Amino acid sequence: MEAITGQELIRAVALLGAGIAMGLGAIGPGIGEGFVAGKACEALGKRPDQSQLITRTMIIGQAISETTGIYSLIVALILIFVV
Amino acid sequence: METITLFSILAAGIAIGLGAIGSAIGEGFIAMKAVEALGRQPNASGKLIRVMIVGQAVTEAAAIFALVVSLILVFYTPEAGESIYKGYYLLSAGLAIGLGTIGAGLGGGLPGGSCMEGIGRQPENSDILTIQMIVGQAVTQTSSIFALTVSLILLSIDPSNDIVKVFAVVGGGLAMGLGAIGPGIGDGLVAKNANLAVGKNPRQMGLLTRTMVIGQAITETTDIYSLVVSLILIFVV
Repeated sequence: MEAITGQELIRAVALLGAGIAMGLGAIGPGIGEGFVAGKACEALGKRPDQSQLITRTMIIGQAISETTGIYSLIVALILIFVV
Repeated sequence: METITLFSILAAGIAIGLGAIGSAIGEGFIAMKAVEALGRQPNASGKLIRVMIVGQAVTEAAAIFALVVSLILVFYTPEAGESIYKGYYLLSAGLAIGLGTIGAGLGGGLPGGSCMEGIGRQPENSDILTIQMIVGQAVTQTSSIFALTVSLILLSIDPSNDIVKVFAVVGGGLAMGLGAIGPGIGDGLVAKNANLAVGKNPRQMGLLTRTMVIGQAITETTDIYSLVVSLILIFVV
């Protein structure tokens, strides 16, 4: 394997970093959104008549949980295409 | 050539070693809840054991994906004159499937456990609880199927001669593998609570299944981001 130096090394590590950023960044939102939807199902089981309100709140809560996943996606895309 | 074999056996170990964690814990969770339910309802033992085995079989799927990739890696024979960079592709394939099946295995166990709890409380609901459990577990497996897809792509494509590309490919494997952990567990949490709710209120199954699938689809989004980033790193960069 030939030596890798300078600009090429930066590019290579940025690409590896993009993978790690997106991979680790997806763990939290995945678990968090699952928690929200799980509890929403629990609430629906008790109060099916409030399904509109519960579903709406669930989707808003999940969208906010999602934001850190989107940050990871943006950082990964910056590392791939900009750096 | 020896270097590639070295990488392939290392990757085989990583694939099945990490890939066995999730399914084993998930299946243990189902069996634990089944034993607990048997203590409460010994008369329903036939139903409980049957549904337990179905749930464990679906949970096992994630570990079987890891096993398949691991066996392909163990028996990988490099072609003469193949670039040693192929070794990094194989390592990346092992990381993707090994890490990627942890979440689906753990997630598959959660609805199985709550299904056992529900049957233990009311054995007459076992049919609808089983259907609900299998739908929930099937959606949970998507994260491991994404990991399997990326892993098989990495096993089959020809390596590039550019060292920068090699870093990108290892990054792609890590993105998909790590990224599948969270959504796998999250999908399982959704299905777990949906199953518990169906056990308490079986008449609302339609509403609960619909909400469960919507919730799981939203949970799955970060998994799709990981897949997209992984495919960009493998094919575009």
